[in-house]
Amino acid sequence: MAEFKVPIGPQHPALKEPISLRMTFEGEVIKDADMRLGYNHRGLEKLAEQKTFIQNLYLTERICGICSHSHTTCYAQGVEKLMGIEPPKRGLYIRTLVAELERVHSHLLWLGVAGHEAGFDTFFMYTWRDREVVMDILEIISGNRVHYAMNALGGVRRDIDDLQKKKILDSLDLLTKRTAYYANIGTNEPTFVARLAGVGVLPKQTAIDLCAVGPTMRASDIPRDVRKDDPYAAYAELPFEVCTANTCDVLGRTIVRIKELFECYKMIEFILKNLPAGDIRVKAPRRVKEAEVVSRYEAPRGENIHYIKSNGTDKPERLKVRAPTLANYPATLVMLKNGYIADIPLIFAAIDPCVCCAERLVAMTDYHTGETNIVRMSELRQKSIEHYKRVNPAKKEIVWPF
Amino acid sequence: MTDNEIINKAKETLGNIAIEITNPAPRRIFLKVDKKDLVEAVQRLKQGLDYNFLSTISGLDKGEVFEVLYHFTNEFAVLTVRTTTSRNDPKIPTITGVIPGAILYERELQDMFGLVIENIPDPRPLVLPDDWPANVYPLRKDWKYERPVEKIPGGE
Amino acid sequence: MLQRLVRWSRIKSPWILHLNTGACNACDIEILAALMPRFDLERFGVLLKATPRHADVIICTGPATRQTKDRVIRIYEQTPDPKFVVAVGACACSGCVYRGAYNIMGGIDQVIPVNAYIPGCPVRPDAVIDGVAKLLSTL
Repeated sequence: MAEFKVPIGPQHPALKEPISLRMTFEGEVIKDADMRLGYNHRGLEKLAEQKTFIQNLYLTERICGICSHSHTTCYAQGVEKLMGIEPPKRGLYIRTLVAELERVHSHLLWLGVAGHEAGFDTFFMYTWRDREVVMDILEIISGNRVHYAMNALGGVRRDIDDLQKKKILDSLDLLTKRTAYYANIGTNEPTFVARLAGVGVLPKQTAIDLCAVGPTMRASDIPRDVRKDDPYAAYAELPFEVCTANTCDVLGRTIVRIKELFECYKMIEFILKNLPAGDIRVKAPRRVKEAEVVSRYEAPRGENIHYIKSNGTDKPERLKVRAPTLANYPATLVMLKNGYIADIPLIFAAIDPCVCCAERLVAMTDYHTGETNIVRMSELRQKSIEHYKRVNPAKKEIVWPF
Repeated sequence: MTDNEIINKAKETLGNIAIEITNPAPRRIFLKVDKKDLVEAVQRLKQGLDYNFLSTISGLDKGEVFEVLYHFTNEFAVLTVRTTTSRNDPKIPTITGVIPGAILYERELQDMFGLVIENIPDPRPLVLPDDWPANVYPLRKDWKYERPVEKIPGGE
Repeated sequence: MLQRLVRWSRIKSPWILHLNTGACNACDIEILAALMPRFDLERFGVLLKATPRHADVIICTGPATRQTKDRVIRIYEQTPDPKFVVAVGACACSGCVYRGAYNIMGGIDQVIPVNAYIPGCPVRPDAVIDGVAKLLSTL
């Protein structure tokens, strides 16, 4: 059977970011996969050494557009520990509120992208319409739809008043109803469920060996979550549960994200009803004594870890950022092996790639003759939708394991 | 398990391999080993203390030595293992035999600092562009970048 | 006569290609949000196309990194004339916070000629619609 290699990327319309995947095929089955990173490498760690701590707050925010609050909070927490200051309770609660709102908007975005990759464009439009509700709330609280610079070293920058609280609680009712509707679609739409089941399987021991993070790991029945293991901000006082699923495939990851959406709504309601009174920030010193700190945060995609070292001046000595998608790459390569060509867009979308966080293209080569043709990701997506129209009858009996 | 229990268990499991152990903040433990004992220490931590999850590997340029930090996490504390290697002979053994997920982090260390990781299964560069000049390592402190003058379209 | 027809169809229904050269994704999500039911660029006839060979307008986000430089030039040459390049976001205009990093050459105008600049970090979808409309009114 002839084997042929396929490079995917870096410019293709399905993924919003440049990344290059190279895969070797035999017939329809993927035998081997490889990645070329570096299209998004912007030399941030070197740049951070030339800017002061406050300027770095705005630099780390722009590492990623979808999870920007996670990078600033992780950085601000770390620097606050270096300086030895403790932000007031109200500031921590508002930070947590924005963090959970960001998680809601990121998971709704992912649901839309998953629907789009599976060919279900109506679902895409519906979830992004609901996402606009969350963007409006964020704009009311912070002033910008994306890159809401709510964090300041020592607390948060703006406060919430009663009118805003009421608006958020009203929107929350609407969002809960709509998310219940999406969970319902899952139960009553067998083609959608069949499309996701059995695709991109990652067994539990492999997930532990390859150090996967986030919902990708939680769908393989590993209950780890930085919010429970290493509580930061206000999470030590918030009641919530860690959501897992045990199917180890893309269906499991969808279930984990929908369950997390419901947990987020409960957390936001709790925060708004129990917001303590007081100040929102404390003053931070300009120079920092020599020390080092490790700071972790649970971003919507997984665990985000920053290592910061200071040297007595007002600029950091070293800032190391490891974003969650980078940790999921070895696991993705394992998931792609022994899968079908038709599943590539969905498997890749299932780890929720935020390539700009991690770093920063599909070309098909015939193994024996060595000739290359460039196949566009949109053609791959069309092919995969056609392929699944002739659905395997055994998959029709799969039930949504909610 | 509290921090003190973890420190005592680590001292027991590692014996005299551990050069020093500090606990600067709650749930953060820093442990220093020599580079020839690195793989052995990681193996014993994985089996004895259940630290099988590597979060990331950071490199640090301290002048005469390079320091490499391995951050391991579990549900009780973050344990960072640090080791040093000299600037003239920057070699470190690989830990992918014990923790297969460390491969991407080690490739990034090779690119950014010029460290040579012995027995690494996949030594290709990870993040730098294809036309990057050889032997130039961006994160070393003695490398400064001079920004070339930008051309403004339409003239000044 | 045919010229006028072709020109009218180009103005009334531009097909766009979305090119990301190393951005943080915020501008990309806002461009997609511009095509969603709330702001709806599609009612103006704007269609998001997959290939450079069908596109009239190239929308670029992100600062020009060294790795993507050759690809951007290749895509620019693959797009048939007449073509327009719109630089969306502060990163594509001049580099935003990344100026001075070793892998960044500045905005997109260091690599390909740009016809319109839309500032913002990230751009609002309304600004994208405004910018594309202004570009088309100069034709």
